Amino acid sequence: MSFLNGLFGRKRDSSAELAKQRLLTVLIDDRYKLTPEMMAQMKADLAEVLKRYLPAIDPDQIEVTLSRGEAHDLLKADVPLRRAADSQQHR
Amino acid sequence: MGRVITVTSGKGGVGKTTTTANLGTALAMRGARVAVVDADIGLRNLDVVMGLENRIVYDLVDVVEGRARLRQALIKDKRLPELCLLPAAQTRDKDAVNAQQMIDLTNQLRNEFDFVLIDSPAGIEAGFRNAIAGADEVIIVTTPEVSAVRDADRIVGLVEAAEKGPPSLVINRIKPRLVSRGEMLSVEDVLELLAIALLGIVPEDETIVIATNRGEAAVYDPSSLAGRAYINIAQRLAGEDVPVMAIPDQQGMLDRLLGLFRRRRT
Repeated sequence: MSFLNGLFGRKRDSSAELAKQRLLTVLIDDRYKLTPEMMAQMKADLAEVLKRYLPAIDPDQIEVTLSRGEAHDLLKADVPLRRAADSQQHR
Repeated sequence: MGRVITVTSGKGGVGKTTTTANLGTALAMRGARVAVVDADIGLRNLDVVMGLENRIVYDLVDVVEGRARLRQALIKDKRLPELCLLPAAQTRDKDAVNAQQMIDLTNQLRNEFDFVLIDSPAGIEAGFRNAIAGADEVIIVTTPEVSAVRDADRIVGLVEAAEKGPPSLVINRIKPRLVSRGEMLSVEDVLELLAIALLGIVPEDETIVIATNRGEAAVYDPSSLAGRAYINIAQRLAGEDVPVMAIPDQQGMLDRLLGLFRRRRT
């Protein structure tokens, strides 16, 4: 079976894949002292502040991710906005 | 002016001393003047790995404290006249030297050698900080294991905080068969996690055990995988434009098919 993994990419439940996913979480926690709970809290706080300026924000749709790069790591927030037609009523 | 390069890792036992000895030897074999420095005060090891333990008279702490001149403490390699070892003190502890003394020492060494390779102690305490104090460049050694990679990432952060520039990575003790079965982190996985430049890779190789037993560097046997790997890394370190060595998968698809073929014939 192992050569099939080699040919068709790694199985999701391989121990190497598991190690990599565990390390990703641990390294971000180590570097930024940012636990998954704090990440959720940051997302909620972010939504609260942004909503003051952009009522068209749906807090449940916000996605915050930390990724690693060569020069620096990146904190990225994807904040989808409801279209203008919907937000008119808030004026 | 020579380059001062510190070899470090965070976690112990991943191959810092073996890497320092082999890179130093490989660089000297290319004709460079090389000093290897054992900065692991109290846990001296580079001397035995290089087979020079019987020749030690003075050590690093003797030089720093003025009991010996640098030239008196430097030990010439048995085979390569351009390769010298500055041994660590065995009977002192890590507090016997400070960062400024290490900077002064490396400045002296860089005047006389093309490469000064410093073998750092494991850990993130004073011994490690002293070992990188005088460095122009830092090489981080890791193995494809969760504990080693995690510690390597801590070191990346500390090296960057010390403004040493981005460190480069050596991934040691790779087992290609385990990687191809998806049971060991691959080179790509480790690079994605640590996000630093790859200097080279070294496959797991019994030659290292035998060479260390004898007190000889593995690079003296260029037919060995590890020897070839360290020669490749030394070439890249010296600025040669050569790709990272490819590790032959000892039981790749071709071998498997050939294996089937052989079995049928017998």
